[in-house]
Amino acid sequence: MTTVSDSDLDEADPSRGPRRRRITSVEVLCVVLLLAIVGQTWLQSAFDLPALRTGATVFVAVCVQALPFLVLGVLISGAIAAFVPARVLRKVLPRSESAAVGVAGVSGIALAGCECASVPVARRLIGQGVAPSAALTFLLAAPAVNPIVIVSTAVAFPGEPGMVLARFAGSLATAMVMGLLWIRFGKLEWIVERALRKLPDVHGKARWTTFAETARADLVDAGGFLVLGALISAALNVVVPDSWFGALGDQIVLGILVMAVLAVVLSLCSEADAFVAASLSALPLLPRLVFLVVGPAIDAKLFALQAGTFGKTFALRFAPATFVVAVCCGVVAGLVFLGGVR
Amino acid sequence: MRRETQNILLLLLGGALIKISLNGDYLRYVKPAHLPWLIAGGAVMVLLGGIAVVRDLVSAKAHQQGGAHGEHGHDHPARAAWLLVVPVLAVFLVAPPALGSDSVTRSTADAPTEPGAAFPPLPDEDDVDVVPLSLSDFVSRAGWDETGSLDGRTVALSGFVVHSERNTLLARLVISCCAADAFPVRVALTGERAAELPDDTWVEVTGTLVPDGEGEAGGEAGYVPRFKVETLTEIPEPRDRYEY
Repeated sequence: MTTVSDSDLDEADPSRGPRRRRITSVEVLCVVLLLAIVGQTWLQSAFDLPALRTGATVFVAVCVQALPFLVLGVLISGAIAAFVPARVLRKVLPRSESAAVGVAGVSGIALAGCECASVPVARRLIGQGVAPSAALTFLLAAPAVNPIVIVSTAVAFPGEPGMVLARFAGSLATAMVMGLLWIRFGKLEWIVERALRKLPDVHGKARWTTFAETARADLVDAGGFLVLGALISAALNVVVPDSWFGALGDQIVLGILVMAVLAVVLSLCSEADAFVAASLSALPLLPRLVFLVVGPAIDAKLFALQAGTFGKTFALRFAPATFVVAVCCGVVAGLVFLGGVR
Repeated sequence: MRRETQNILLLLLGGALIKISLNGDYLRYVKPAHLPWLIAGGAVMVLLGGIAVVRDLVSAKAHQQGGAHGEHGHDHPARAAWLLVVPVLAVFLVAPPALGSDSVTRSTADAPTEPGAAFPPLPDEDDVDVVPLSLSDFVSRAGWDETGSLDGRTVALSGFVVHSERNTLLARLVISCCAADAFPVRVALTGERAAELPDDTWVEVTGTLVPDGEGEAGGEAGYVPRFKVETLTEIPEPRDRYEY
């Protein structure tokens, strides 16, 4: 994704030079749309297989459910770029990086959205000069510890207040541990240069232009990767048989691992995953808690979004580390707050 | 990808969200509470795309401003943005239906249960002969209500027909956010009529819960109560296909 060919540069700047006669992406798009309309009957009959139809419905459902949250995220990202100068952010956050990680984790409570919203926001925070460790902590904390998620977990597990506490503690711990790990081991060059670029501070009317333009560009960037994530999760939803998870009731270690993988595979919205966890009643509480801690921190959809926003080098290191940390934090939180496997 | 193409895609995708919100198709994919989010999200997408188109047209007219584009940093190839075409095509051309029998046979997840939950009493037998109940309410009462509120009561249920290996089931899918988290609730229907109907036929049945002893249908994953059918009517597919 980092190579920039001449043709891309040409395409990116419509105002450059006299227009050459060549096939542009606008024309490609028109051809794609025309072909699809002409082939509509064929397309619909191709989706007549039950499994394919189920996959298509799940795909559209994940997109339809997540896109409004992504829009919210890019609006916040645009607002930060346009209206919050870097020096204000520097003033608000503590000077010490570890303290900033703590503040970022707790401030995740304020962004009431699911995980898709937090990726563009975290990227913009880094762009505006916030330490990456703090921004990444925010990225992991926001989707997991906000009030909507807490309430929906409480509703899904009535009579199990320990589950709510354990989820909150496990998720917050995951976010902070990852932030502290980044301080110790993280390297700025893992993140692609374009995610680090700082937008110039602007004033007056230009602010609104920056706001709209940043939000638009972020939406186009992240939207494509969200669609990729939705495709992966829909495919896995259909391909991976449910029965794999039924026979795990008494094998606790395997159960935890499989539930952690399932959280990555299903890519559920963090506001809904508690209900799915509640429905897997054959399993003890601990594996289901791990499912709830891992899901909002890393899943197929988030991995695609992170790779698109921060670059592949970053995502390939960050995602597996998050997975391991989240599993550990989930298990520890479960042992402390649930008092065992249960 | 050119800016123009990106803007067209944003307009199309925002339009797709608004379209399914207005014609009610969104109920196939998400729960009703998502409607304001969908409309607002779609509107913002259309606005962002529209503003960019207008600004480009204006600045193309005033040619001396041409250099201003450089600031916006579009110098990386946004190949992934092509994927935005996929949901646009899926919504406008394929319009996938709500989940049905395929998801019911695929899933082994059980409806969440609340042992010891208090169930409000059903209306008095003298007032109402046939009590309409949601399928999820019926199944959890059958499994967990210790006061036996269903005993001997005639209830009306609606759902679609699914043939499993050993039973004919009446099923509904319950979603808590979007169709990706759907799980099924089922009852096993007695009688020949239901057995002859094809999968995914929507029916309304009246009848009673088969009492303890032979009350649970065998060969199914999870708890599936048996339902003794008195009347069975085919109904058109409802607008709200899911329970919440």
